[in-house]
Amino acid sequence: MIDFGPAIPKKILDWQATGRDMVYDRKTLFDYTDGGAEVYLAFDFKQAFVRKYKGPAQEEIALDIYDMGSPEEAYGIFSCDRQDPDAGIGQESEYGPGLLRFRQGRYFVSITAAGDEQKSEKAILELGRTVAPLLGPPGAPPAILKCLPENGLKNERTSYFHGVINLNNRFFVAGENILNLDARTDCVFAEYAPSATESAKLLFICYPDEGLAQAAYRSFCASYPPKGLPAGAAQAENRMWTMIRAKKRYVAVVFDAPSKEFAERLHSAVRYPQE
Amino acid sequence: MKHALTRRDFIRGTTLAVLGTAVGFPQESASPAKKSRVILIRHPDALDENSQFNEKVIRQMLDEAVMKLTDQGDPIAAFRKLVKAEDIVGIKSNVWSYLPTPPEVEKAVKLRLLDAGVKEENIGIDDHNVRTNPIFIKSTALINARPLRTHYLAGMSGCIKNYIMFDVSQPAHHPDNCADLGTLFNLPQVKGKTRLNILCVLTPQYYGRGPHNFNRRYVWNYKGLIVGQDPVAVDTIGLRLLMAKRRKELGPAQELPPVPKHIQLADTRYGIGTSDPAKIDLIKLGWTDGILI
Repeated sequence: MIDFGPAIPKKILDWQATGRDMVYDRKTLFDYTDGGAEVYLAFDFKQAFVRKYKGPAQEEIALDIYDMGSPEEAYGIFSCDRQDPDAGIGQESEYGPGLLRFRQGRYFVSITAAGDEQKSEKAILELGRTVAPLLGPPGAPPAILKCLPENGLKNERTSYFHGVINLNNRFFVAGENILNLDARTDCVFAEYAPSATESAKLLFICYPDEGLAQAAYRSFCASYPPKGLPAGAAQAENRMWTMIRAKKRYVAVVFDAPSKEFAERLHSAVRYPQE
Repeated sequence: MKHALTRRDFIRGTTLAVLGTAVGFPQESASPAKKSRVILIRHPDALDENSQFNEKVIRQMLDEAVMKLTDQGDPIAAFRKLVKAEDIVGIKSNVWSYLPTPPEVEKAVKLRLLDAGVKEENIGIDDHNVRTNPIFIKSTALINARPLRTHYLAGMSGCIKNYIMFDVSQPAHHPDNCADLGTLFNLPQVKGKTRLNILCVLTPQYYGRGPHNFNRRYVWNYKGLIVGQDPVAVDTIGLRLLMAKRRKELGPAQELPPVPKHIQLADTRYGIGTSDPAKIDLIKLGWTDGILI
C-alpha cells in the first residue's frame, strides 16, 4: 500500500489529526475491526490505512482507506451497503449523516463520525474530497455486472461479492450456505422495478466450474422449505415467486417476483457470457 | 429433523419458531423444569434530554431488576443471592469505543457488590485483558455487562459474544457466523461462574453500514436493561428486540440481522441456557412506551 501518511493533510478545516496513523493487513485487521474483518477478508483485501481527526469540540472522525487489491473488489465492498445519496466524491460515493463512503480505483474509503454528525459534516466531506485524488486512476466495475438484464435495474442497489456473509447482510437467504458460496464464487445481487407495480430481486452467481454450479442448484432446491423447489420454482405464502436456473457454470435465482411469468422473463433476459 | 432457517421462514412467519426451537436447559438453573427468568426494565429518565446516562436512575433500574430476578425485597439482599462476601468478582464489560458498557452500569454493579460485602480489592472491571487480569484469573464469580448491538458477522453482539475475550483466539470463533460462541461459557476461566448478565438496551444499535460501523442514525434511546442469570435467555430477548426494531425501521425483509445462530446453538449444542421462548419467563418492569416486545 502507498504510504498515505505524508500525502494526506493532518489538518482539515479546523480538525486535527490525532494519535498515530495505523496500517492493518490481512493478519492484523482483526485488531481494528474485530469480527468485521471477515467481511473484508472475503474480498481480496490487502491493507487498511487508518487515521483519526479531532474537531474543536473534541468530536472524532475516522478515516479508513482500504486497499482492496483491484477496482472490482473495491466496487464490491462499496456496493454491499450502499443506501445514501451520491456525494460526488471519487468514482462512486454516498453520504448520509455521519458517514461518507466512496471508491476510487482499487481503494474503498469510509469516513465516519463518532459524535455529532452535523458538526462533523463539513470536515468529513472536505477530507473525502482531499483524499480521493490521491488514490490514483479510476477502475472498471466487475465484468459480471454486464450479465444483468438492463430493463428496470436499480443500479445503486446492485451489489457484488463472493461469500455468504455479504449475501446474508444484503439479502437474507438462509442460515446455512445452501448455495455453496466461497472466495471462488463471483456473485451479483440486483433489484428490479420495471414498473410501479412490478419488482423482484436477482442473484446471479458464477462458479469455478459447471459441476459446482449444478451442485449449488440441487442444494438450493432441496433446502427451501417446506417442500423445496421441485421444479426450480415455487410460490410462497406471500404469493411471490422464487425461481432458480442453472446454465453451465452459472446459477441465477429470482426472488420475490410478482408472477411466475415475470420470474421467467427476468431469467430469460440474463445475458450469459459466451464460453 | 429441524431445517435450516431460510428466507421462506420469514415469509411464513416462522422465524422465531425456527430460531427458538430448543432442547437444552440452563446450565445453572436449579431444575430443568424451571423457566429462565429474564427482567426487562425501562425508565423514561434513564437518559436525559441530551442523551446522557442518568446514573441514579440506572442504579435504581438495576436494583429493581435484580430484586425481581432474585425475589428479594431490597437490592443488597438481592445481590447477596448472587455473590458471597468472599467472592472475587470480575465484571466483564465491553470497551468498543462507539458503544461501550456505560460506566454508570459498571458503577452500579460495583456499588452493590461492595454493599453485598465483596472487598473492593476483589472486584475488577475489564474487557480486553480478562485473560491476564489477576482479578479475573482468580475470579470465583463473573458479572457480564455489555450493550446490545447488531453485528455484521454474528448477527448480534450480546452477552454470549461478550465472553470472546476469554479465549486465546477471537478469530477462531468467526467461522459459520460465529456459530460456536457458546463454547466460551465452558472455558475453565468462565465455566459456572456467571452470576448475572446485564444486556444494556439503553441505546441499542439495530443496524450497521458495513462491519465495524457505528452511526447514530441506527441507535435509539430505548432506555432499558435486560437482566438475567441465563445468558442465552437474555440474548434471546435481546434478539427479539433487535428484530422488532428492524422490522419497524427497515421492513420485514431486513427483520433479521445476519443469522444469529450462535444464540440457539449455545442452547442446543452447548447447553449453557435456553433460547426457547416457551421456557423463558420474561418480566417487564417500568416504562412501556415503545417497548416493542
